[in-house]
Amino acid sequence: MQAEEFEAVDHTNADLPSRPQAEVETVFGIRIGSMGFLVSTAIYCEVLDKIQVNALPNVHPWLSGLLNLRGNLVPVFDLRIVLEEEAAGHIKRRLFTIDRGDKTVALWIDGFPEVKDSTLLQQLKELPPLPQILQQFVTDGYEQDGQVWLNVKFDDLFKTLGRHQYTTEEMAA
Amino acid sequence: MINKFQIEPETSIVIDSVTLIEQLADQSARAGYYGLQDANLVLVETVRELQMDQEFKAGTGSSFIIAAWYDLVEKYRDDPKKTAKEIINYLRRPELKISMTDDEFEMLEQQLCSDANDTADTNGNVGEIDTVDNGKVSRISEQHIVDEQIMIIERLGDQIAAEGLYGLLDTNLLLAEALRETVKEGLVAVDADFLMMLSGWSGMIDNYRRQPKIGAEAIISFLRHPILKIPMGDDEFSLLQEQLASEVFTSESTQELSGNAPACAPLTDEGVKASGDEFSGPISRVAQELVDLLLLESEQVRSCLQDIIISDRESVLDSLQQAGDELERFSNAAKTAGFEGLARICLHVNVNLQCFLEQVDLFTSERLDLLLEWLGQVQEYLPSFNESNAGQLVVTGLTDGQWALPLSFEELAAILLQIHSESLAVGDQFEAARVETATDEDISIALPDDVNQELMELLLLELPVHTQQFSEAVQRLQSNGSEKDVEVAQRVAHTLKGCANTVGIKGIAVLTHHLEDILIACANEQRLPGQALANALINASDCLENMSEALLGFSPPPDDAKAVLQEILDWANRIDKEGMPDSETEEILAETQAASGDTGETLEKATMEQLQTPMVRVAAEQIESLFRLSGENIILNSQAQERMRRINNQLHAMQMQFALLQQLGTELEQLIDLKDLTGRSLGLNGTGFDALEMDQYNELHTASRRMAEAAIDAREIGLDINKELEQANEVLQYQQRLAVEAQEVVMQTRLVPVVSISPRLQRSLRQTCRLTNKQSDLVLTGEELLIDGDTLNAMLNPLMHILRNAVDHGIESESDRLSKGKPGKGRIAISFELEGSTLLVRCRDDGRGLDYDAIRAAAEKRGVMQPEQEVSEEELKRFILRPNFSTRTVTTQTSGRGVGMDAVYAQVIAMGGTLTMESESGYGMTIELRIPLPVSLTHALLVNVGQYRIAIANKGISQIYYSGDIQLITEDDQEKLLLEGKTYSVAKLDNLLHIPGHRKQQRPYGAMLLVQNEEKATAVLIDSVVDTLDVVIKSLGKYIDKIPGFIGATILGDGTVTPVLDLPELLRAPARAINNIYTNPMDIEESESMMLTIMVVDDSLSQRRALEQLLSDAGYKVRTARDGIEAVNLLAQVKPDLVLTDLEMPRMNGIELTAHIRVQSSLRRLPVIMITSRTTQKHRLMAEEAGIDFYLAKPVRDEDLLVKVHNLLEQATDRERKIA
Repeated sequence: MQAEEFEAVDHTNADLPSRPQAEVETVFGIRIGSMGFLVSTAIYCEVLDKIQVNALPNVHPWLSGLLNLRGNLVPVFDLRIVLEEEAAGHIKRRLFTIDRGDKTVALWIDGFPEVKDSTLLQQLKELPPLPQILQQFVTDGYEQDGQVWLNVKFDDLFKTLGRHQYTTEEMAA
Repeated sequence: MINKFQIEPETSIVIDSVTLIEQLADQSARAGYYGLQDANLVLVETVRELQMDQEFKAGTGSSFIIAAWYDLVEKYRDDPKKTAKEIINYLRRPELKISMTDDEFEMLEQQLCSDANDTADTNGNVGEIDTVDNGKVSRISEQHIVDEQIMIIERLGDQIAAEGLYGLLDTNLLLAEALRETVKEGLVAVDADFLMMLSGWSGMIDNYRRQPKIGAEAIISFLRHPILKIPMGDDEFSLLQEQLASEVFTSESTQELSGNAPACAPLTDEGVKASGDEFSGPISRVAQELVDLLLLESEQVRSCLQDIIISDRESVLDSLQQAGDELERFSNAAKTAGFEGLARICLHVNVNLQCFLEQVDLFTSERLDLLLEWLGQVQEYLPSFNESNAGQLVVTGLTDGQWALPLSFEELAAILLQIHSESLAVGDQFEAARVETATDEDISIALPDDVNQELMELLLLELPVHTQQFSEAVQRLQSNGSEKDVEVAQRVAHTLKGCANTVGIKGIAVLTHHLEDILIACANEQRLPGQALANALINASDCLENMSEALLGFSPPPDDAKAVLQEILDWANRIDKEGMPDSETEEILAETQAASGDTGETLEKATMEQLQTPMVRVAAEQIESLFRLSGENIILNSQAQERMRRINNQLHAMQMQFALLQQLGTELEQLIDLKDLTGRSLGLNGTGFDALEMDQYNELHTASRRMAEAAIDAREIGLDINKELEQANEVLQYQQRLAVEAQEVVMQTRLVPVVSISPRLQRSLRQTCRLTNKQSDLVLTGEELLIDGDTLNAMLNPLMHILRNAVDHGIESESDRLSKGKPGKGRIAISFELEGSTLLVRCRDDGRGLDYDAIRAAAEKRGVMQPEQEVSEEELKRFILRPNFSTRTVTTQTSGRGVGMDAVYAQVIAMGGTLTMESESGYGMTIELRIPLPVSLTHALLVNVGQYRIAIANKGISQIYYSGDIQLITEDDQEKLLLEGKTYSVAKLDNLLHIPGHRKQQRPYGAMLLVQNEEKATAVLIDSVVDTLDVVIKSLGKYIDKIPGFIGATILGDGTVTPVLDLPELLRAPARAINNIYTNPMDIEESESMMLTIMVVDDSLSQRRALEQLLSDAGYKVRTARDGIEAVNLLAQVKPDLVLTDLEMPRMNGIELTAHIRVQSSLRRLPVIMITSRTTQKHRLMAEEAGIDFYLAKPVRDEDLLVKVHNLLEQATDRERKIA
């Protein structure tokens, strides 16, 4: 297992050379299909490669399964299925985890996360048409070089996706 | 007052005093009082000097002394001869440090006396002074008298507060306040009579102490003096008078209870009776106990004094301070015990002690000896207090000049007289200890200022346990209790009393004291309390529980405490006078004893054991991490075991290799020997021996031997390793057992007995019954079960919901029931049972059952059903579980059940449980809840299903069969299993889990599990069983809801994660996940949003919590805000159906909040109830002007509030309907 860690930069660390603080505010940008999402750098995130995702039977297809991340069970969501996005061809998918401990949640992203300078992002006055599921969770949107980046309430989104809808029709014999 | 002097610059008072005294001197001279002039001049000098003296300035006594001078001058005017002596005594005060010899003092005294004669002779008018300067000085001096009086009154107040006479304290504060006002207005001086009365104030209080009723009247009539202008109404005055009249007794009896009074020893009946007819002979037993306790207390003072090291200033300061505190306690105790004279002396000594403290540098060993000697005399006096001259002992030493303020002879005589008169009555007052009326003071659960935190912690820990035990015992008494229950209740009451006394919580101590007396009376007369008394006891236990919750910060103090205490007091007094009422009970204990003796005994034993177990409070988080760690331990252990198993396999392979090696070695040796590969011809010829005659060896021989030996050695080592590994394996297994045990123990800390929620259920039932005017009993069974605390808590709300429904819609009114031939009182039974790891809760009522017509009507109205549509009762039943099945129309009208059942159902489903309903029209209804309990560890089968590897918990699995045994038959187009003559229905795990088409061709299943589910056995076909193992179950985390059939997931030894399946649950509710459907997060909240919302605005956390609990228990959704501003912000997001607000709050108060609500067009009609402790008409008017719908003054009874809320909400809906 290889883990590349993207940790929030600790500005209070005295050992680091001082740098202009207020101006440079960074965020992570992650891509899923054609869509881009922003994740605050204040949250602990990791990119995981070569880690086994253990599938679960009889769950919604966007729940890929569970990870054993250092003893914590972490659910893995596949937003590409939720957003009905096409596969991004040759780009390798990696697992991106948000938060730590028992609050950790993982999702598949295309490629690596990008570090964005938030001052270079231009806030959108009006959000582009979004898939229905996203509409209630997107707080605001930004634009940079033609790519739209969305701020999403991931916590609520994943809770919604993790709440299963079951039918008792077509029951097993 | 002391504070006041510290705040005011001392010098200004002194300067004033100097000028005033100078004026006095001038006037005296003009009036011909030359002696007085001299005395004044001496004092002026002294005061000037004192002004320079930093130490004196720092003290608090200076202004007091100066103020007192005016008193003397006044007195001298009236009666010069007598006062002359006093003036001289005054000037001799050591703290004034007047450097005059005794002769000089004598001369001055003579002068003063002769002046009096002279002026009287010449002028015939002694009161000359005050006419000299137009009465100005007199007024000033009178003002000082008033000032001084205020000070005295406030000192009195402090002393009274220490005694716990709060009514009297109020009176003093009122008077002091009023006096200050009048001084400002300069009115006092006008009325000499008033001043006279004022100076008699402390006398009035003394009178009051002796004769409370008459004294109280006198005090109140003085307070009503027009000059004072105390802004109180007649009723307020009479209230105060009433309090005063009853307080002395109350205070005496409660002081008996309060922790610092050592007189709280249990008084036995004989003791009380014996003391009654004592006169001067031997000391009564009660009195003896009191004396012993006082002696003990006096030792405390002594030990403080003995700690003093004269040379060490700090030690003197500290120890004197402590000694002062102890002395005060001793004095209080003495007073309580009836040694009022002694208490008075103690106070006097304490004043001296305070003086010593002020001049700590002047504290000498002589002064210490003085104190110790006095204390010794007190200790000598106490054991023989009833002898005629005993009192002499404690006062004689006090006139010594060494004291800062020696006792005057007049005072001495008065005290001696008091000591003599009261010595006969010590111990008597306890006979009349029981009060008639409950006061606010008696129900106060305020903590004393000097509360011992450690004791408090302990109390908080024990209080809920004890109150619950008491409540249980009393509840048993009400239903079918025995003498044992009386004993248990009495003992718990006693313990509670003790605990409360130790910490100083009066409310609990007083209530339990009287409860204990009642229960003792029950035990003595061998009678069980009858229904009425039992009800009173239950109310008291409710009240105690509420008090306990209030102390824990969960709720505000109970509003009905005073009424409850009054009820208990009435009972106690009645029993005191008449004994246990005959009509109360026909059950003589002997009869019931035989029946319930055993259970009583075991119960008592259990209770006692529980009482004795020491408890620790630990943060829940810590237990959680312990639990997690112990789980990790098990996982790691099973990983180690997995490794061990592999090593064993490899070792086994190695041993085979070694064996092979050994065998090859032997073969090689034989070959060499037999076939003579060594070449015999190699030089044997030269030796002359035949090859048979001598063995010849070469290198090949040696090498082959060594190889054979090495092979054997290797095998030996292999065997050794094997042995080692076996031992290591044992250790691992032992460790596993321990880890599992550790986890179980940790798990047990989360277990709570069901009984812990029963008081809340009972209370909820009683409340609903009162609200709906119905009668019902609640019978709980299986209360002793230990259940995971979280599960129990999560179940409480649905259960209360069901209970409320049962009363509200199930149980009929008394008359209805009687007409149907049912008993008038309804009966609801809730039973708790464990079914494996599932909790089964069954709630049964004997009411009218489901009203299908009403459900049908509601369903048709909502359009979920067509009129005339054929629907079975079973389907109708399911309707009430539908989300958002209209609750509002149903609750407000009288109709069938169905109120909020959807909410109950949603909660049960969220917990992974099931809900079933059985209704029998006219006979009642049963609701069954099955809630899975959290399992942490289970034995499981690891099976393969398609591409998944799944752990199946062994729960419900009765047998495992392998392929050869399976014989499927087809019956009615359904596959069945024929096994040992029985047929079983068949389910396939891949179908149950909806694993799509992994079976390309009809491959036979490798194994079959026979699963017992409820009453039915099902055969479940699986591909193969890989392994059996113990697994630790982990939850799927906060993002993934419960998946039907899954208990959780586990991490296997190799680190992979597999889901853990609960087959019976899966069989009960097979369900398929629907693709591409998301639950809207709002959906679930919406079922709640049908409930009416109430906003509670209060700045007190406990009040908010209590209202929140009360209202949500009553079925409302509650939002809370801490003040008006927060409420306004919240109102922007949520529109509640009603607002409950406090009046006084920080930032924005209730009036402002209401005004804000009334100007908002969307909120204008929102009903607002104000709950406040302000009861005056003024507040009420202000609130009404702001637009309050209803004003409730505290204390508010829960039922009253609920009824009010209910009515206002109904009015609001009616109004809305009309508008619509």
